[in-house]
Amino acid sequence: MTLKDIYEWDKRNLERIKKFQLASRYKKVGIGMSCAAVITLITLKFTNSEPSWLHPLLKNFLLLGMLVVSISKEEIEDEYIVMLRSQSYRMAFLLGVVYVFVQPYVTYGVELLLKSEEASMDMTYFQVLVFMLLIQLLFFHVLLKKCHT
Amino acid sequence: MKNTLKVERAILDLTQDELAQKIGVSRQTINSIETNRYVPSTVLSLKLSAVFGKPVNAIFSLEEKD
Repeated sequence: MTLKDIYEWDKRNLERIKKFQLASRYKKVGIGMSCAAVITLITLKFTNSEPSWLHPLLKNFLLLGMLVVSISKEEIEDEYIVMLRSQSYRMAFLLGVVYVFVQPYVTYGVELLLKSEEASMDMTYFQVLVFMLLIQLLFFHVLLKKCHT
Repeated sequence: MKNTLKVERAILDLTQDELAQKIGVSRQTINSIETNRYVPSTVLSLKLSAVFGKPVNAIFSLEEKD
């Protein structure tokens, strides 16, 4: 295998990764997964006999569902839709970074007000990822809606 | 960048949806080009030019601010 072959192989794979998206039918699958996870999480709030592994599993299932929606194509995925999608990812990334900086202080402030001795600045991966995926999906939806008018 | 897409479409009596189908894009894309919210790529401009039978610079033109 020559250096040129390696370069070509690398270029081909990079292109494949860059263009990777799921078919539009997976959007409904993702919405279904997310809704099922949210409903189950809400139901578990009212039950006491919840196994310890179920809660994190459902949270991951919700994240996976949102990710599937996020990477599913539109019915017609043309260059304009691709541009709107990349705008929404950019916004999600920027706001996600701001969220990571600001949210622990907000949590700390609120906890300090409510229960002054146990205030912490904890933040989980779930909070950050859900926030970023929500922002991406909302921005993309809003930008797409704006085109209809 | 301004364009005469709406006029050209009216000459051929095409709806946004019909034009979108002809060049394989969504109706939103045509709407966004017409309202100057989106500047299409060279490939898309050439496809539009082929549909209208006019050169690209007869459909798209630069403005002062460009």
